[in-house]
Amino acid sequence: MDNMLKTYDELKLLVLAGLILLAGLGTVSLAAGSLDSMVFAIALALAVSYIVVHYILRWVGRSGDKLILPVAAVLTSIGLVVVFRLKPELFLMQALWVAFGLVAFILAAVAGRRVELWADYKYIWGAIGIILLLSAEIFGVEIGGNKNWLIIGPIHLQPAEFAKLFIVMFFAAYLSERRELLAHDTKKIGPLVVPHKRVMAPLLAIWGIAMIILVLEHDLGAALLFFGTALLMIYLASGRYSYLIWGGGLFLLGSVAVYVLYHHVRARIDSWLNPWADPSGASFQIVQSLFALGSGGVMGSGLGYGFPNLIPEVHTDFIFSAIGEELGLLGSGAVLLLYMILVYRVFKVALAAKTAFNILLAGGLAILLALQTVVIVGGVTKFMPLTGVALPLISYGGSSMVATFILLGLVFAVSEAGGSDA
Amino acid sequence: MLDELKANVRKTAVFTIGILVLVFCYLSYIQVVKSQALATNSLNKRAIQVAARIERGKIFDRNGQVLAFSERDSDGKYERHYPYGAMLAHVIGYSSTKYGITGIESSCNGDLAGMKNWGRYLGPIGNLWQPKTGNNVTLTIDATLEEIAYRALGNRRGAIVALNPKTGAVLAMVSKPGFNPENLERDWEQISSSPESKLLNRGVQGLYPPGSTLKVMIAESALAEKITDMKQTFTCEGAWKIGNDYELTEEHRHAHGKINLEEALAVSCNITFGKLTVDLGSKRLADSFSRYGFNRPVNMELEEVPVELPDFKHLSDGELAQTGIGQGGLLVTPLRMAMLAAAFANNGSIMKPYVVSKVTAPDGTIIEEFSGQEFLTPTSPALAKLVRQMMVAVVAEGTGSAAGIRGIKVAGKTGTAENPHGEPHAWFIGFAPADDAQIVVAVIIENAGAGGEEAAPVAGQIFAGALR
Repeated sequence: MDNMLKTYDELKLLVLAGLILLAGLGTVSLAAGSLDSMVFAIALALAVSYIVVHYILRWVGRSGDKLILPVAAVLTSIGLVVVFRLKPELFLMQALWVAFGLVAFILAAVAGRRVELWADYKYIWGAIGIILLLSAEIFGVEIGGNKNWLIIGPIHLQPAEFAKLFIVMFFAAYLSERRELLAHDTKKIGPLVVPHKRVMAPLLAIWGIAMIILVLEHDLGAALLFFGTALLMIYLASGRYSYLIWGGGLFLLGSVAVYVLYHHVRARIDSWLNPWADPSGASFQIVQSLFALGSGGVMGSGLGYGFPNLIPEVHTDFIFSAIGEELGLLGSGAVLLLYMILVYRVFKVALAAKTAFNILLAGGLAILLALQTVVIVGGVTKFMPLTGVALPLISYGGSSMVATFILLGLVFAVSEAGGSDA
Repeated sequence: MLDELKANVRKTAVFTIGILVLVFCYLSYIQVVKSQALATNSLNKRAIQVAARIERGKIFDRNGQVLAFSERDSDGKYERHYPYGAMLAHVIGYSSTKYGITGIESSCNGDLAGMKNWGRYLGPIGNLWQPKTGNNVTLTIDATLEEIAYRALGNRRGAIVALNPKTGAVLAMVSKPGFNPENLERDWEQISSSPESKLLNRGVQGLYPPGSTLKVMIAESALAEKITDMKQTFTCEGAWKIGNDYELTEEHRHAHGKINLEEALAVSCNITFGKLTVDLGSKRLADSFSRYGFNRPVNMELEEVPVELPDFKHLSDGELAQTGIGQGGLLVTPLRMAMLAAAFANNGSIMKPYVVSKVTAPDGTIIEEFSGQEFLTPTSPALAKLVRQMMVAVVAEGTGSAAGIRGIKVAGKTGTAENPHGEPHAWFIGFAPADDAQIVVAVIIENAGAGGEEAAPVAGQIFAGALR
């Protein structure tokens, strides 16, 4: 599919990603005044494993997308450097998560070689997705104010991170089957197209689930992520703007209702609309985040020279603000551009895919990745109300890291299938 | 069929990446347009954290005595200490994370806080040159003399300014009542809300009528404008009616009789100087004030407030006479009166007063050095010498005798300034040794009474201390 990029380019870019990791850790260590050989041994091992992953991938199949892994590796390297800067004691765990992620990437890429066949098991994916979501709701433990953790022995999991993938898979299969129906079985009322009730029912069901997330978890961002992904996937399948308008209208209506009815949602929206009304209380986090970004300016303070630890939870939800402070707009903008490139490549994979399911799967995963980035980066910059969502590949945490690598592994698998008989 | 799907993918891609672009634009807005406002917001603790990370530079007196230094407390945070406490509080000021910075701490903050390194213009790369310690600042203040002046003033409200007339170096500057910067944060309420204006540095910010100390300037101006000479005889009858509505009087209407200019200055004759000022007229009087620089700011680092001059265009003869004896609408600072005396001590030239003599890097390298700079030359050496001789007579046989010290010729002028706040303010300005002045002082004691009785002895103690 891509004549411009050679396999060799992927290797070159991965070496660069490894160098970014080593140089970043070196900078942080020099600024802190202490070098830990253990950290560099781990980093070197990771840099080498990027290259190992490259050779395994090219051994498994030669034609998969050549930019996805390097871009992911650069983002991961930046994440490791910033986690080491913010919470050095968590570096080892994060490195471990990256290693797991790389393994998961290969496994997903290999397992997904005949990904189009997965469409047949759509209800299994849907069920797993719902069970994962519910498991957190039922057995979940609250850590750091968010009741979305599952604890099994020594492992802390955020099942919602994985649930998203299964739900996208379910939608891709479901919609690829019904898209004729979605696109054509409609009535018209004025300029707006009203879908048939068989189509309207699932739309309302998704909307209901989103509202439940909103009410139970007070989580506007998660609800927006879930609903937005579903809605855009419906558009993807049908090509009808009216679904977006219906869906958007429903979501807005529901949000307004919840805003009026639930004071905690109201508090969150209010602190977004006017954070300066209570900068030391309700809006403390967002105000600290804005201070970090503003203090960073264009050039940034330099790694190790800012004060990102003034922001609570800086290594998870607010890691983007830490990048903005110490690396400036040059750094935060570069990270945002990398996400754009990544999203763009995933959409490109969707465009090259050969079956409706594969197109919708890759497209859906691209939407998921893009919206998650928008929700968290938009949240910490006050572009939209703040919600605690992991910044893919950068935030500290295993579930999001592994889930994102599985996502990219699946996309790689789709690209492999799409490109092999081009 | 798949083509239709792919068309949808394209539109969706444009839409989602479009949202990311919007977020990018907003991020740029925050980090570029809003950057400055957010970085300097008072709730943003970063400035304080940056300051706490490097050791603030020390402040020394002219002999290397430590006047301010920083030390790590048990939490590893730097705390500022002032060994001389209230004695130098107004000159040095304070550096508080809560209540801001003033005085030298403020005017030299860039150096003391280590922010004046060229690396800071290089963005993050500048961190390579980030010092661990701020620069040290050496003052012209003589801590020993400061202590003598501080004790001489006692518990009275007032101010003392001592300069080296040959360089303009400020040797001592006392303002009372004061505060102890060591306990600033603990006592802030009491210090800041005191009706006695404890935070005010009276030496440069206290505005007082100069009273008879101004007569030295009138004498010089009258001689310069040839309105009088040293031989002319004036007749003082104890009171002088000017126009229909104003009468200028001596204390207790005591008549000085027939006196020349030198005698008139020695006894501080109001009638003689009132008459000379009326003869000068408002135009030439205004010129005199500007010749001596009263209307011209002199040195930002001193944080002085401007002098209040009367509206010369609308002065009646009565008001003119009043201004000539340092009353009426005229309000000056002690620093300005010290500078006036300095002109006669230094052969007609006023040197620019300054407090910072040197900025050194932590390793001792001199970064900046300051020396005497001429401010103005209001009069000629010959006239300065004449006024000086008259001022010597004031101390030798006139109202200022209490400022005299054994074996050294002292020149000076007393003042007893009427004011609306009660008893008159006691003034003395002068210098010693008269023919080769090493020190010029201005002393004011608020509501203390006669200058010759209250302020002159204080000046005497300072002369003795400085020339010991």
